[in-house]
Amino acid sequence: MSYTARQVGAKNTLDYRVFIEKDGKPVSAFHDIPLYADEANGIFNMVVEIPRWTNAKLEITKEEKLNPIIQDTKKGKLRFVRNCFPHHGYIHNYGAFPQTWEDPNEAHPETKAVGDNDPLDVLEIGEQVAYTGQVKQVKVLGVMALLDEGETDWKVIAIDINDPLAPKLNDIEDVEKHLPGLLRATNEWFRIYKIPDGKPENQFAFSGEAKNKKYTLEVIRETNEAWKKLISGKASDAKKIDLTNTTLAETPTYSAEAASAVPAANVLPDEAIDKSIDKWFFISGSA
Amino acid sequence: MRRAVQHLRLIRSHLQSRTYHHVAVGSKYSTSFRQYLQLPNGEIGSYFHDVPLNLNLETKTCNMIVEVPRWSNGKFEISKNEPLNPITQDIKKGKPRFVNNIFPYHGYIHNYGAIPQSWEQPLVPLLSGLKGDNDPLDCCEIGSEIAKMGDIKKVKILGSLALIDDGELDWKVLCIDVEDPMAAKMDDLSDVETYMPGLLDATRSWFRDYKIPTGKPPNVFAFDGEYQDSLSTLSTVQECHEAWTALVNGKFQLDDSDIEIPSIARAGTHIRIEPHQQDDTPIPQEADKWYYI
Repeated sequence: MSYTARQVGAKNTLDYRVFIEKDGKPVSAFHDIPLYADEANGIFNMVVEIPRWTNAKLEITKEEKLNPIIQDTKKGKLRFVRNCFPHHGYIHNYGAFPQTWEDPNEAHPETKAVGDNDPLDVLEIGEQVAYTGQVKQVKVLGVMALLDEGETDWKVIAIDINDPLAPKLNDIEDVEKHLPGLLRATNEWFRIYKIPDGKPENQFAFSGEAKNKKYTLEVIRETNEAWKKLISGKASDAKKIDLTNTTLAETPTYSAEAASAVPAANVLPDEAIDKSIDKWFFISGSA
Repeated sequence: MRRAVQHLRLIRSHLQSRTYHHVAVGSKYSTSFRQYLQLPNGEIGSYFHDVPLNLNLETKTCNMIVEVPRWSNGKFEISKNEPLNPITQDIKKGKPRFVNNIFPYHGYIHNYGAIPQSWEQPLVPLLSGLKGDNDPLDCCEIGSEIAKMGDIKKVKILGSLALIDDGELDWKVLCIDVEDPMAAKMDDLSDVETYMPGLLDATRSWFRDYKIPTGKPPNVFAFDGEYQDSLSTLSTVQECHEAWTALVNGKFQLDDSDIEIPSIARAGTHIRIEPHQQDDTPIPQEADKWYYI
């Protein structure tokens, strides 16, 4: 099976949408793409939202049919993350696991915080810069528990199975061995990235330590179970998430016709990003 | 004499209008790419020789030409040997050169470029017996905007680092665009550390390590890696301007055939070049790789 991205509108505008297609037919980025690409071998599908070294806060939208990737807005304005020295934009290929949900109705037994109502976030650490709407096959290595404004927001660390380093990375300790400094930089990045917008530093559960692969697989399983309840209409509160899908015939929100309502591809040249986004913010004492 | 007068007139006209343009030919990220300076009167000039230095010791300002925008990898530079010194991409083993990303940095961490009408002369040893690298003085602009290749900026000089690159002296002048909101507050190295904590150390380690992925040893620095202050840096700029003046006046006698003296061709003969820029050549995927040193 092959996934492609269907772009509608210009990047850096409110119109921009990226739908995922399977064999040319639109599917939901949230619900239709199987979480497991190869369950026996521990290979997962990941939907890339934000390429490394870019600033636009792109994410799978929960509210629109088939959940295209759009740019997040704040007070009607497009949202961009700030550059916190020495980093440039996001430092990973950032994205999400399909068919997962961090349930906001349930507090996690260890972090004691409720889920952030989003699919599970993934940080892909391979050497290539990915593109928005890319569906990558990844292996998971670890997880960090960010407490973002009081909600649990797991960040799974994963690597593209086709990356040259992938055979050497099998658990969290291999990350420090082969990519020294990356976990520390990741920790710092998520702690400080909202400071330029006037927000306080974020906190991590587990003293900022990344949990190992085994723990990560459990987090993925739990969030997949939460999604299963959601898609079958059994969640205690579905938070107005659009559950329309084009492949899950047994679900109440299955609709093969939804695919034909998706606009045709319309790739327009990128809109220029405001120069203020180029600024580097120097946050003393962050390291 | 008449030519000298013509030259003065030309220089005056630059100073008055400051409307420089550029003319690009070929495909960016390929060996065919050339970006020439176009003077206000429409003729082609040299980024190296025809943009005035405009050094002001009171305001500590001079001009800078941007070669590489921050957070990019293409190693673009003023070609010292080609007539009229266009900006070209450095070529290594027949291929356009890209600097490697050294974790945690992405590409160059400053708007990188050169100071016009300056030359680090390679003939007479200066500092601790070191000779210059035969290029215009390099500079690193630390303002918040990402500049464009070929931008001519008025910058304030803040300090410098004496890199020894493959055995040659290769000063890196730290400066800030006078138009940047922080420029008024920055006068010397201590201000850089106050307002941009970590940047001085990052700059040093960037220049130390940036060639390691290509198999070279770490670069070393004169003065044990200590930054030189703004006043000392102004003297360096003056010296390099004097060396440049001697260069364009043909004062450098060459016995050492190993050294190729830069082209000193400059505006005044009304050369025109039509723009003929082709689509960019795709940047090779290797340029995205992050190297962990």
